[in-house]
Amino acid sequence: MSEQPTSSTDTMIFLDGVSKRYPDQPKAAVSGLSMEIKRGEFVVLVGPSGCGKTTTLRMINRLVEPSEGRIWIDGQDVTHVDADRLRRGIGYVIQQIGLLPHLTIAQNVALVPKLLGTPKAKRLQRAEELLDLVGLEPSTYARRYPRQLSGGQQQRVGVARALAADPPVMLMDEPFGAVDPIAREKLQLEFLRLQERIRKTIVFVTHDIDEALRLGDRIAIFAEGSRLAQFDTPLEILTNPADDFVRDFVGTGASVRRLSLLKLADVISISTSDAAGLFRTVEVNLEQTVHRALERVLSAGAEGICVKLPTGDSRFISLQALLTAAAQPERVTS
Amino acid sequence: MLLSYITDNAARLLFLAEQHVELVLISVAISAVIGIGLALITESMPRLRHGLLSLTGTFLTIPSFALFALMIPVLGLGVAPTIAALAVYGVFPILRNTVTGLEGVDPAVVDAARGLGMGRNQRMGSVVLPLAWPVILNGIRTATIMLVATAAIGAVVRGPGLGELIFEGLARIGGANALNETLSGVIGVVLVALVLDLLFIVIAKVTTLRGIHV
Repeated sequence: MSEQPTSSTDTMIFLDGVSKRYPDQPKAAVSGLSMEIKRGEFVVLVGPSGCGKTTTLRMINRLVEPSEGRIWIDGQDVTHVDADRLRRGIGYVIQQIGLLPHLTIAQNVALVPKLLGTPKAKRLQRAEELLDLVGLEPSTYARRYPRQLSGGQQQRVGVARALAADPPVMLMDEPFGAVDPIAREKLQLEFLRLQERIRKTIVFVTHDIDEALRLGDRIAIFAEGSRLAQFDTPLEILTNPADDFVRDFVGTGASVRRLSLLKLADVISISTSDAAGLFRTVEVNLEQTVHRALERVLSAGAEGICVKLPTGDSRFISLQALLTAAAQPERVTS
Repeated sequence: MLLSYITDNAARLLFLAEQHVELVLISVAISAVIGIGLALITESMPRLRHGLLSLTGTFLTIPSFALFALMIPVLGLGVAPTIAALAVYGVFPILRNTVTGLEGVDPAVVDAARGLGMGRNQRMGSVVLPLAWPVILNGIRTATIMLVATAAIGAVVRGPGLGELIFEGLARIGGANALNETLSGVIGVVLVALVLDLLFIVIAKVTTLRGIHV
């Protein structure tokens, strides 16, 4: 077994020249793809349908066997290990959820621990912990069956089930795609909060660029034929799209959307300061986004913001100066 | 009178009914093993599977009288040819329902089970078969009811069961109690069918896992 061709111990998932060809199709579903995903990173694969993003995801736990190339997880070449054992160590969540309808919620969540031979009492206790973690009261839901739950609740169970054996890696294939928009946004935010606590390495597939921008630490934008058009942070993608494909895919309003990713801390150093007391301001702190600050300025009918600095001082920035600073892409992303 | 005929011959009628039930259950068991087995073996061979469905479906079009008679040169007279012929008839409904049941299992559930690390046999044993079971059981039930009626014809090859009454009675129709004998055979067959049908309702209740119908 050869060494992983990258020295970084920070790398959790490494795809090395991975391809997938199906015998009855002239074009490869994925060809020569290489990607490096860091430990604890939330990576979103996004792109039009047929771009190979789901195939890529499914090659990581070998639901689809790669035709070429190698895949490394946590420094181990998993291309030839026992697939079932590999999958038990990787969380897996799909859009259709796929809870086993004849098992209770608790039994569904305890499925992987059961496959791993965890004793019954221990795995049911674990199931209750996880239901609690995803916001489902165990005493209410543990004994119910999947069909008695709403779509959003079922997907929480799906997430809990994927986390049951505490896998370092989670693969999620459009997990929030089937729930209604309001529940989806709620699930997304909850999941982000959950991720802050559990710090899993997540590979997440979606076709929704807004979802990608909201969730990902980094976003991999796939073009036709699994070409990796850009693999970067949301801010960088909005600020410096790699090519016309990325620009088109991100769509209109990129410069406005950037504002909700840009924090005041990012722009404070390049904004021109105005003298205090010149105009009516709203008070904001450095951690707030430019978008939020603008919203507050507009709703208060103010003329600028007053930023509290960690030193205890405050800086006054007029609306005009703030917008000018936020519009300077090359200087805010370092 | 029919009623007095039945009470006078209660012991024989009960014996024949019992034989009839046994005959049907043994034949259905063989059909089930063959039908479910064929469906499982052909899991990844859809062409063969549909070929088998057509073939076993064709068996049903052979008149039962003829099929029983055709068994004589191979298996002689008595229990063996009767069971063989009945088992042939029973395969189709069980195979068809098993195929329908397996194909009806939500692919997302199977994909999730696979993605979580369940092996092929685990998926089949604890996901696919339990979910397909209500449909498979219905096939077995259909086959059973069908065979209760067909088994009566088994009397042409000296098979056991209530068919004996019907054929004996018909052979000497006009004679003393001939009609009563035939009728009691017919009524017996209907009652056996009803009892077995009830039995299947109970089995379905007991064996269908909770959660499927909630």
